[in-house]
Amino acid sequence: MTAELLVDARAIRKEFGGLVACNDIDFTVERGAIVSLIGPNGAGKTTFFNMLTGAYTPTSGEIVFDGRDIVGLPQHKITALGIGRTFQNIRLFGAMTALENVLVGMHSRLRSGLFRSLARTPLQRREEKDGRAQARELLAYCGLSPRAEQQYARHLAYGDQRRVEVARALATNPKLLLLDEPTAGMNPKETIAFVDFVRKAREERGLTVLLIEHDMRVVVEVSERVTVLDYGEKIAEGTPDEVTADERVRSAYLGTKPVS
Amino acid sequence: MGTGVGTAAASSRRPILALVPRIRSRAVTALGILLLGLVAFWLVENAVHDIGQFGLVTLNGITNGSIYALVAIGYTLVYGILELINFAHGDVFSWGAMIAYSVAISWLGADNHSGIELFGILAVALLCAGAFCATLNVAVERVAYRRLRNAPRLAPLITAIGMSFVLSNAIAVVYGFNYVSSEPLLSRRALFTIEGQSYGWDKLIVLLITVPTLMSLMVVVKRTRWGKAMRATAQNRDAARLMGIDVDRAIAFAFGIGGALAGIGGFVYLVYFTQGRFDLGFQIGLFAFTAAVLGGIGNILGAALGGYLIGFIENYNSGLTWHAPGPSWTESLIFILLILILVFRPHGLLGEELSTRS
Amino acid sequence: MPPATRTRLERALLAVCFCTLALYPWLYSNYLSTTLTQWLPDTSTAFVILAFTVMGLGLNFVVGYAGLLDLGYVAFFAAGAYVAGWLASEQFANAGSVVFGGTVLPKTPGIHLSPWLVLLAAALFSALLGVVIGVPTLRLRGDYLAIVTLGFGEIIPQFVRNGDNLGGFNLTNGAFGMNGIDGLGFGNTVHHAIHTLPSNFLNELDSRWYYWTALALVVVTIVTSLLLRDSRLGRAWIAIREDEDAAAAMGVPLMRTKTLSYAIGAFFGGAAGAMITLQAGATSPDAFSLQVSIFVLCMVILGGIGNVWGVTLGGILLAYVNYKGLFAAGNTFNSTFGTNVDISQYAYLIYGVAIVLFMLVRPEGLIPSARRRAELVEEPEEENVGAEASPA
Ligand SMILES: Nc1ncnc2c1ncn2[C@@H]1O[C@H](COP(=O)(O)OP(=O)(O)O)[C@@H](O)[C@H]1O
Ligand SMILES: [Mg+2]
Repeated sequence: MTAELLVDARAIRKEFGGLVACNDIDFTVERGAIVSLIGPNGAGKTTFFNMLTGAYTPTSGEIVFDGRDIVGLPQHKITALGIGRTFQNIRLFGAMTALENVLVGMHSRLRSGLFRSLARTPLQRREEKDGRAQARELLAYCGLSPRAEQQYARHLAYGDQRRVEVARALATNPKLLLLDEPTAGMNPKETIAFVDFVRKAREERGLTVLLIEHDMRVVVEVSERVTVLDYGEKIAEGTPDEVTADERVRSAYLGTKPVS
Repeated sequence: MGTGVGTAAASSRRPILALVPRIRSRAVTALGILLLGLVAFWLVENAVHDIGQFGLVTLNGITNGSIYALVAIGYTLVYGILELINFAHGDVFSWGAMIAYSVAISWLGADNHSGIELFGILAVALLCAGAFCATLNVAVERVAYRRLRNAPRLAPLITAIGMSFVLSNAIAVVYGFNYVSSEPLLSRRALFTIEGQSYGWDKLIVLLITVPTLMSLMVVVKRTRWGKAMRATAQNRDAARLMGIDVDRAIAFAFGIGGALAGIGGFVYLVYFTQGRFDLGFQIGLFAFTAAVLGGIGNILGAALGGYLIGFIENYNSGLTWHAPGPSWTESLIFILLILILVFRPHGLLGEELSTRS
Repeated sequence: MPPATRTRLERALLAVCFCTLALYPWLYSNYLSTTLTQWLPDTSTAFVILAFTVMGLGLNFVVGYAGLLDLGYVAFFAAGAYVAGWLASEQFANAGSVVFGGTVLPKTPGIHLSPWLVLLAAALFSALLGVVIGVPTLRLRGDYLAIVTLGFGEIIPQFVRNGDNLGGFNLTNGAFGMNGIDGLGFGNTVHHAIHTLPSNFLNELDSRWYYWTALALVVVTIVTSLLLRDSRLGRAWIAIREDEDAAAAMGVPLMRTKTLSYAIGAFFGGAAGAMITLQAGATSPDAFSLQVSIFVLCMVILGGIGNVWGVTLGGILLAYVNYKGLFAAGNTFNSTFGTNVDISQYAYLIYGVAIVLFMLVRPEGLIPSARRRAELVEEPEEENVGAEASPA
């Protein structure tokens, strides 16, 4: 009874020309869980994310998020329903400050349009002020030093860019947070801190987290369930222990990319 | 059960939402077919009304289309490799026509010769125009575009617009703002007639030059080392570099080939229309670009095909007598076509569907 | 930088610039004309310069903020011009006489609305046209969009040229264009109500009034630009310019946001078109060439894409060069060397060279926005960035 599904994707399929990037994948995420999606490069993980967020429309299949079918909805509507994401190769708005990046993340929560902005109504001013305060809080929550808030995203250090990306995703007020290889490029210490952060964020913000991850230690440490993709196929699913014990997974994934 | 409720609610909502894109795409297809049907009907009706006129206009379409095809390939090659709309390409074409004029008429006096001498002169002019424009196009790439290869995407496009102004106005500096023109070079005496309408050397020579040029282009692109390097670079620049291909040279090669074809196009234009002006390439360039998009940008065969299609559209619209909008609407028609293609079928007739990256 | 953080020096500079501009007609006639007539625009020319600056600022919403390359901006100029023609001339004399605040005698045939209303109507109509053009095309990416807008920029003049016989109806007067368009003024009713207005309502207001109207419009456009830049909408535009996919993933509705930038750009383009037409008293399809679109685009590039002050400066500078500087330079050149060269013929050669050089050498423009510099300069400039950043 407690296990309500936040994501229920059925027979999701995506083809690029002749290439089947996702082959009829069934996939579910329970509300409040931390779930990992793993698989070798080119397995179709990012493609799957892109279908969840509406960046790609599946060739066939259905995705129910929080009780609504989201296939065919435009991206901004899906974001507003509660899916926030980060990108595998960081995609901040380089010529905007860290703070402004987070404010863009709040776009669907803020209300002021053309006329309120032109008239600078009290409502608009308050909203803007509160938005900035919240954005600051979020950046601090994600570990960015206040000094960096006003720097252009392009000029931030790599680690800070990752932090801003997470803050920007959180700013959309997501129910489901999608993280695409968030620990890539982090050293072991940062990685451990990040794992703690994800746990903490889940508890404090009532998030459900879906994680694409290459580092098996992170996967085993943080996730309650793991799904393994290989060449667009789902080859295994279960608890981290079950999955790491699976023969197919060992040969397909762990074999080609040993645990470092 | 929580799950059950969630999915049930969702599936009841599913059909309408999911059907919207499908209905829309069907409606678009249906409308497209309807439109094509109407056009076909209109053509047949016109052919029945006045078969002679129809035949003549068709042949004119082939003639004009040849010029568009030659120019369109330059757009497609450059776009295929750099994803840049080389705005200056139409003006390279203008230069081709002007150089052909200088060589054939001012310098060698083609209008006073005939027979084998005339053909000799024209051959020289053709080579000069082709070589000049190839060099010019390579130089434009070297000077204006190469440094911007990794710049934000609009930067090279804006530069190309600037280059277009530079090239066309440079013609005005050299040749003045008015038309240069000459007497017809080739006899317009009929080689054959259809229903009283004649077809002469001046039109035939366009085909005699274009068709072999396009065929040798295919061979160059498909068979030679340079052509292969160019195609590999267009496919994936980084992979090509890793394979040891000199990417800069491959790109220069694409500009060279495109420029040569534009030069030949300019020559053909001059021989056929016996006039030229500094802003010649503006409209012809836009039409040729439309042709490249129509055929599927990046696809050489598509560009040629698109060129001929545009030639037909232009001539049917302005030459046919039964319910044609007439020449004053040609530009609008072609641009509307361009917009429709870009919006509904951006990969064109022969191009592969490109997907955007995320 | 929000206005609040502008330094005292900058504010003083701005105030001086504004006062000089506001007093220009007076300065010109009293002090400057005697010595510098050669090089300085008279008030009417200065009006045209400011009107084109409004176009540059309008296009900046589209190209500078939202990063949408529009090569058909002249379409909106045309729309504004023809709305002015329709609502303030004898074009529709068949419809009888509709005079509502127009600067003509009562019972004059045709439609004659108050020119101030005409300006507003032109801007709104143009914005509407922007939406109509934008909705099908703005989903296209970068360079395709550029070509499609260019297409519209070509279709609309052709439509105007052929519009003298749309199923028998003469909408645009064809290639001749429209003449006898009313000028700026307050009209009969207003004139009688308020006696302090300039004498004789029938005479159009003199060129100073045009100039001041244009200056007011420049100010309105600048203020709009600044207010929107530092708002939710402005951030969404810049986010789209920076990375469309990421913006969409963060909840920015792409189509709506882009269309809005296009419509606002069109709004000011239409207003400028109407204003220029009211002053000229006539308009024709020949005025709507691609060159105008490119000319306005040059203002944006020259000034520094996205920077309001840069574009203002770029606009004034370029329009000055085009409408006065080149003639003046040509005349000086000819009288010095005894030649007879028409330099203004080569304006577009010069602009072409300028565009190429600017993109190659100084892509950030004269006064780039700090943002834009961040975009175009590779290496981090930590201290600079810190200094420019605004504690809000
Ligand atoms: N936009 C696209 N167009 C064509 N092929 C794509 C596109 N996006 C992804 N692919 C292909 O789909 C496959 C899966 O890619 P991706 O989902 O990025 O893998 P992963 O994230 O698991 O490494 C790859 O072969 C990739 O080349
Ligand atoms: Mg990936």
